[in-house]
Amino acid sequence: MLARCAREKPPSMAEALVVHDLSKRFGGLRAVQDLSFSVNEGETVALIGPNGAGKTTSFNLITGYHRPDAGSVFAFGRELVGLRPHDICAHGLARTFQVARPFGRMTVLANVMTGAFLRDRKPEVARERAREAMDFTGLSAKEHIPARDLTTIDQRRLELARALATQPRLLLLDEVMAGLNPAEIDQAVALVGKLSTRGLTIVIVEHVMRAIMAVARHIVVLDHGQKIAEGNPREVVADEQVIRAYLGTGYVHSAAPGDTQC
Amino acid sequence: MLATVAQAVVNGLLIGGIYALVSIGVTLIFGVVKVVNFAQGEFVMIGMYISYFLATRFGIDPLASLVVTMPTLFVVGVLLQQFLIRRVLALGDMPQIFLTFALSLLLLNVMLLLFTADYRTVQTPYTETAIHLGAVYVPVAKLIAFVVAMLLSLALWLFLRGTDLGKAMRAAAQNRDVAMLMGINPDRVFCVAVGVALALAGAAGSLLMPFYPAYPMVGQVFVLMAFVAVVLGTLGNVTGALIASLMMGVAESLGIQFVGADSGLIVVFLMLLLTLAFRPSGLFGGWTR
Amino acid sequence: MPKLRTSAALWLSVLALIVLVLPLAVPSHFAIDIFIRVLLFAFIGVAWNLMGGYAKQLSLGHAAYFGLGAYTSTILLIRFGVSPWIGMLAGGVVAMLASLPIGAVCFRLRGPYFAIATIATAQVLMLLFLKFRDFAWGAEGTTMPNLGNSPLMMQFDAKAAYYYIALVMLAIGLAITYRIERSRMGYYLVAVGEDEDAAEAIGVNALRIKRNTYLISAFLTALAGTFYVQYIYFIDPNTVFGFNISVEVALVSIVGGIGTLWGPVVGTVLLEATSALLQSWLGSSHGGVQLTVYSLILIAVILWRPSGLLGVLTDAYARVVHAGPVRAREASLDG
Repeated sequence: MLARCAREKPPSMAEALVVHDLSKRFGGLRAVQDLSFSVNEGETVALIGPNGAGKTTSFNLITGYHRPDAGSVFAFGRELVGLRPHDICAHGLARTFQVARPFGRMTVLANVMTGAFLRDRKPEVARERAREAMDFTGLSAKEHIPARDLTTIDQRRLELARALATQPRLLLLDEVMAGLNPAEIDQAVALVGKLSTRGLTIVIVEHVMRAIMAVARHIVVLDHGQKIAEGNPREVVADEQVIRAYLGTGYVHSAAPGDTQC
Repeated sequence: MLATVAQAVVNGLLIGGIYALVSIGVTLIFGVVKVVNFAQGEFVMIGMYISYFLATRFGIDPLASLVVTMPTLFVVGVLLQQFLIRRVLALGDMPQIFLTFALSLLLLNVMLLLFTADYRTVQTPYTETAIHLGAVYVPVAKLIAFVVAMLLSLALWLFLRGTDLGKAMRAAAQNRDVAMLMGINPDRVFCVAVGVALALAGAAGSLLMPFYPAYPMVGQVFVLMAFVAVVLGTLGNVTGALIASLMMGVAESLGIQFVGADSGLIVVFLMLLLTLAFRPSGLFGGWTR
Repeated sequence: MPKLRTSAALWLSVLALIVLVLPLAVPSHFAIDIFIRVLLFAFIGVAWNLMGGYAKQLSLGHAAYFGLGAYTSTILLIRFGVSPWIGMLAGGVVAMLASLPIGAVCFRLRGPYFAIATIATAQVLMLLFLKFRDFAWGAEGTTMPNLGNSPLMMQFDAKAAYYYIALVMLAIGLAITYRIERSRMGYYLVAVGEDEDAAEAIGVNALRIKRNTYLISAFLTALAGTFYVQYIYFIDPNTVFGFNISVEVALVSIVGGIGTLWGPVVGTVLLEATSALLQSWLGSSHGGVQLTVYSLILIAVILWRPSGLLGVLTDAYARVVHAGPVRAREASLDG
């Protein structure tokens, strides 16, 4: 049962990302099945679902780490399927990894510069851009620390700074809030909000409901590789399928007619 | 013509059995411990020298010396894992490669210093004998080697499938972390894996002695073959290594027969490069990206 | 490089001066030969280090390019009378061309399987050249025609000349590495070496970086090949495609400091010095002694200091100078 309300799309807004009928199997496992959703420019969309639902796989498909068996991914007017990850990044999509992957040998600054080099060949310019990104994520004081010596949360910040240094138009964040305490979650939410204000389109995979509610206007719910619901936060939270997927059948109770609003 | 081909195929299969013992060892260590043992060939060489000395000093037939070489090398393997390999496991690819590589260099050159590059051979009653299967000439020594190699492979297969320890090894090969959660002690499993692999190498050495000379560099030939077989048969796949080894033995033999005496190696390398170019995950490989 | 303090700059100048006048101050042929070997293998080590140290693509088959360079220039010299100076460059180009298909096949492999594939390529080349009688003298090889002292044909009576050529080659190799380290390519190289997937995610074309680095590395290694055969007046497949060359050029970086500018130099000095000492202790070089010692050193380094000696030296220097422990920097990629 899909969203009861049609996706509103103001005529002036372009679609930043259109995923259509995306499918991928690994041997006998259907990781993603016929997934379709779209993201408008400047929007923040959350991709949620129980563990193993196919969220990270979807990211990997979108960013070129796996080749989908079927389906297409359109971003800013260009088909992405078949492109290598670095081309996709050059086109404007940046992603972070669920487990941070810093270049341990390099300092924080060098890490972020590596990202900045995508847009600017010269080291001096790249350094400037890198410092901006680090400033935004609060890493300025740690410029010269080797990345492998950072705390986990700083490594996450580094992931984000590095991705931002590539000057993306669309940012895919994979569980950036995992394991953060409430204060840190608020900080992260604020960061995401700032990015959104700057016009960045964001797709965020998350488990932390509080964060999702705060940042996402639109939510796509996956379970076992398929989209089971889509809509604004209120609708999704009330959706039977969603509740069943997360909590089990015992928690579902039918909504009275007229309960949902578009 | 057919007889020539048949002869070449038989020759290839027979030596393929030895390649199998070596490559199974490599793939076992790689599958379980996730380390490439560049020194595997040198342990074959050591097996050969042990058999050589038992034969010349005590008159023990190389086949009988299996009883000595296999346990000895098993213990060596356990020690190797416990005191050297374990120390570099956490360090990543490069130190691991260089450790076993350095070990290979060390063993080879120490043996070179101790025993010079002279070829050493052993004559047994059956070294020169052969049986005739139709038009095909089958040297007895090689046949015995092949049969024993297949028996050992079978024994290993049964061990991996049937015993708890064997299953633990397969579990650790598939997913180390989950295996640990299940209570499998990785240290023990790794030690056994390396021990078994080296025991197989030692066995290969003993089996080779009746018809092959021992010299310090002999391991290098076999290990190169083994690596190709491991890649061809898919990394970590024991059955794959076995089948690939037999295939390579046959390919090498056909190459020697029909292309030229020194073309065996080239054929094998071409097989490696072709595999890497078109099917890098090997014949039995799973899904790639 | 870290900003040089006055005392450090002074020491370096003295060192540079020593290096420059060494062959004139020490006339012993034996000694100069060692110096030349040190310079040459440090140079190849530097070339190897770009691939193996920075990008972590461990090639154990660099002898392939060494040999291709050597054979190209020798064939051009003996069959066509072309000066080895030109032959050197031609050899470099041949090596670069060879590195393209080799890289295309080998770069799909990660870790140890890349190493194995490179070993295989060097072996295949050796086997091929062992068979090529008509074109390239087969297994016996050939000696260089003795043209007396002809600088234009890269033959010199004075050993010192070879020393200075090798010195210039090393300087060029170091300069190239230094420039790359500081440029975008350098950052991309290390990123690919650290985590290829993460690098791709931020726009690094890993395959292209590896390919370009391999081109440079192959080219430089080939130059060394030409120089070597001109120096020893002899070439045969076992000498120039030999596994021990591949081993040594990898070893010097690993022992000296992977992925650092001066690592290969430090490593070569250590290994060659050890080798020379052994030779003098044991008389003639016993087959196996040198490599035995090398392998023991390598094992020791791996167990004790996997990143190579340079890290240790940096630590020691820092401790002495700053009177306090300083985190060892393997590469000064600190922006």
